[in-house]
Amino acid sequence: MRKILLMGQANVGKSVIFNRLAGAHVTESNYSGTTVDFAKGRMRLDHEDVEIIDVPGTFSLEPKDRAEKVAVKMLDEEKDVLVVCIIDSSKIERGLYLALEIIEKGYPVVIALNMWDVANGGNIKINAKKLEQILGVPVVPTVATRGEGLKELVLKMKKTAPAEIEKIMEKVGMKSGTHN
Amino acid sequence: MEKKLSQMKYEEKGRIKKIDQSLRTQIAGMGIREGKEVEMMTKQPIKGPVVVNVDRSNTSIGLGLADKILVEVEG
Repeated sequence: MRKILLMGQANVGKSVIFNRLAGAHVTESNYSGTTVDFAKGRMRLDHEDVEIIDVPGTFSLEPKDRAEKVAVKMLDEEKDVLVVCIIDSSKIERGLYLALEIIEKGYPVVIALNMWDVANGGNIKINAKKLEQILGVPVVPTVATRGEGLKELVLKMKKTAPAEIEKIMEKVGMKSGTHN
Repeated sequence: MEKKLSQMKYEEKGRIKKIDQSLRTQIAGMGIREGKEVEMMTKQPIKGPVVVNVDRSNTSIGLGLADKILVEVEG
């Protein structure tokens, strides 16, 4: 069965999106060898049952605690997965850091700019279309608590493919090998 | 004036000048990098963490890390 990993930093709404997508088909699991729980569920994508996993929140792919270790390990172990990277739109910079790390590893990614309403209320304007052009992966504004944007998020999951980090760097005017 | 992030006072503002190489990747995911503006929100006693505001969100940083971050403050 194909797998979808929901990844993002802590408190960006991963679990809300997970519950919306997986509905009632949820089982709680304990990742072997740790005390960190994650939840697994199922959803339909393109007339196919897929497994959807709510990965523990992580700031980056360089783990600093056990929950983050689990998150990174889950990503490394699964090669044929789609990653939905969830970002708190009001804290977009640090969210993009994680998103770029995942893209750089070669996974197909869809970005959910969650808490879109909070960002707009705080006068943060984000050009999602432009971001999509730069990153080469779908970017969908969402308000998970109200279910807004989730339909489009699922539609975009069918269409995403890995993006090349070199191309992204070209578009923002960076040369390969100069970033740190 | 230049000081360590750990030496900033409550409500003091500054701009991050230098981050020790050893922890650059460790805190980049928290939105903290050179050139960012920071404001000290809280300091916890008994060598507890400091809480700084970066990009309108509060982030707590261990005192050990805050010791290795140099900040340019006004005045």
